[in-house]
Amino acid sequence: MSNDIVIFGGNSNPELVNLICENINVSPSEVTLSKFSNGETSVQVGVSVREKDVYVIQSGFGHVNDIFMELLILVNACKTSSASRITVVMPYFCYSRQPDIPYTAKGAPLITKPNNTNPSKTSLSTQKPGPDNSKSLEKAIRSSMVKTQSSSRIPMISGKKDQAHSSEAGELFKAQNAGYKLWVVQSGTLIANLLTTAGADHVITMDLHDPQFPGFFNIPVDNLYCRPLFQNYIQHHIPNYQDSVIVSPDAGGAKRAAAIADALKLSFALVHKERRSQLLKGPPGATLTSGGVGGALSISTKPLLKQEELRDVKRVASTPTIVQTTMLVGDVRNKVCILVDDLVDTSYTIARAAKLLKDQGASKVYALVTHGIFSGDALNRIKQSSIDKLVVSNTVPQNKALEVLGEEFVDILDVSRVFGESIRRIHNGESISMLFEHGW
Amino acid sequence: MPNNSIKLLAPDVHRGLAELVSKRLGMKLTDSKLKRDPTGEVTFSIGESVRDQDIYILTQIGAGDVNDRILELLIMINASKTASARRITAVIPNFPYARQDRKDKSRAPITAKLMADMLTTAGCDHVITMELHASQIQGFFDVPVDNLYAEPSVVKYIKENVNVSEAIIISPDAGGAKRAATLADRLDLNFALIHKERARANEVSRMVLVGDVTDKVCIIVDDMADTCGTLAKAAEVLLDNRAKSVIAIVTHGILSGNAINNINNSKLDRVVCTNTVPFEAKMRMCPKLAIIDISGVLAESIRRLHNGESISYLFKHYPL
Repeated sequence: MSNDIVIFGGNSNPELVNLICENINVSPSEVTLSKFSNGETSVQVGVSVREKDVYVIQSGFGHVNDIFMELLILVNACKTSSASRITVVMPYFCYSRQPDIPYTAKGAPLITKPNNTNPSKTSLSTQKPGPDNSKSLEKAIRSSMVKTQSSSRIPMISGKKDQAHSSEAGELFKAQNAGYKLWVVQSGTLIANLLTTAGADHVITMDLHDPQFPGFFNIPVDNLYCRPLFQNYIQHHIPNYQDSVIVSPDAGGAKRAAAIADALKLSFALVHKERRSQLLKGPPGATLTSGGVGGALSISTKPLLKQEELRDVKRVASTPTIVQTTMLVGDVRNKVCILVDDLVDTSYTIARAAKLLKDQGASKVYALVTHGIFSGDALNRIKQSSIDKLVVSNTVPQNKALEVLGEEFVDILDVSRVFGESIRRIHNGESISMLFEHGW
Repeated sequence: MPNNSIKLLAPDVHRGLAELVSKRLGMKLTDSKLKRDPTGEVTFSIGESVRDQDIYILTQIGAGDVNDRILELLIMINASKTASARRITAVIPNFPYARQDRKDKSRAPITAKLMADMLTTAGCDHVITMELHASQIQGFFDVPVDNLYAEPSVVKYIKENVNVSEAIIISPDAGGAKRAATLADRLDLNFALIHKERARANEVSRMVLVGDVTDKVCIIVDDMADTCGTLAKAAEVLLDNRAKSVIAIVTHGILSGNAINNINNSKLDRVVCTNTVPFEAKMRMCPKLAIIDISGVLAESIRRLHNGESISYLFKHYPL
């Protein structure tokens, strides 16, 4: 390859950097990334970048804020050293998840604090089947949704007395700001602007959580897909894949999963949670599972409803009993299920989906994941879950997953060829859209 | 201008200074909540409406988790911006990356400039800071920067705690000579200079004293104390030159690395830092540390900025 290309690797995923560089036959250039004693990041670029085409590879994993600042400073160093073009290659884009705000039936964000914090009053177990059962069940589910939202990514202003610093201010705020709805910051534009400010001219990433994310940038963003790699894996490594079912673990990923199902001509199913309006009048064939507190309740008049305890699935310190409602759309009995998701962090969603699939008679459950963040206890949760095989890409280093789950259980998909080829094509000014469909 | 009032925000760590300032201003800190992922990603929400308000975001950046604090600050600024605040002022007493302010070797980043650009990108309309390492950093910004001085507070401290008649002001390096000279003028004292040849950052080599310190109480003044190697070495040089005792007064006590050991093992009587940097926890490990509270200066500058009054008074005078 021509010698006016320079590739720098950040600290987050050196293994992937080496793989990408091997693929395009360029060795990564020398850069020293360290920290001063006071915690500030220090960057020393070891080669001349004047009039060069610079690629900076940094995955948004590890200690994200340090990783991101390191990237910004490195990009800025190249900029001030007269690089002709700087492309940020971020296989997993940090801060790309916008907080998931639950919505009420009217569409307003459901982020007020529940008035009733006593779980026994709102739990499903107190409901009795009766003439107006549907209404009260609906109400109970709504209140259970209010409770579960404290475990989502939305920070809540608590009015509780035990939260020392915010309690007084919270009271004051309630007196002064009646009618103010708490909202959560969307940091996508900020992150995009920071990269442009630092001097990035182009961004390459993979499987962004939000398809709208490239719109936050004023520079071109190439969003590569892991889908061809998934399809390839399914075709070559899953026996009798023609009989398997592609399953999306949540409604948000339905499109992504459906695309794979269409390409391989497979059937498709959807696991769906926390949507009250469809819960009682779900489509025919829908099976509902909902967690109850303190004993299951049986509604014999409604055969579509099946209550089950899922208390171990979700647990939050502040609210000891959490109720979760999950529903499967589609038939998976005696089939191999392939769960497809772009990102697994806490692994609650995917573990719950796998359990539901097994409960519904699935013979085997594969999980195909692009970005395996696996924070906290996630890997152990997957180990104990009904998932039989985890397939994950190496956008994020997966050494820990191999260590905890074992090589039998985990297959790693190598994305370095896709990234290497896209770098080669972008450098040469060729089209990369072929990579979207066929992979490399 | 109906209903336009000060709102003071602070992240949930190192709130000490913000609480002091809010007490001085006679108001409560605005309720807000930061939530962190295990990976460090931050989500933020403000507990009350800030529409058309005058926002001040005070963040203390100490040693260690600098990048976390910066990202949090940027997200808080951007949150206020998207919440239709009238004006957003970042109050950063200890400006991070201030020492990386020039291209001192080939292909070195000018991170201070990047910081300035990022603050304005996030939506910051005004910056209040204190004792910038180089006052030229103000020129990196496209928005007004008020660079406050710790000098009035330091003068007050010296007058109250040191026998001024036998004191002498020392600059630990040539770069700080001007700062030391101004302070000496204010107190009508003599001043001396330690000249050092520095091989690499955070490493001290040979030191030469210029001036007479015999039987004097030496006050070393500097804008920043990091590992405190320089201060300890300077104290030795001064005592070798028959000084009576040595104290150090620094604006930003970053005290990283083995600073605490360096101070404890040094011949310094006392190391006095302003509370621009959170170091209260370190005081338990090091009895030689003392605090100068600058919350009054910050509070008064916020009040004056909000009311559109001049701030230059604070450069020379301690607020009442």
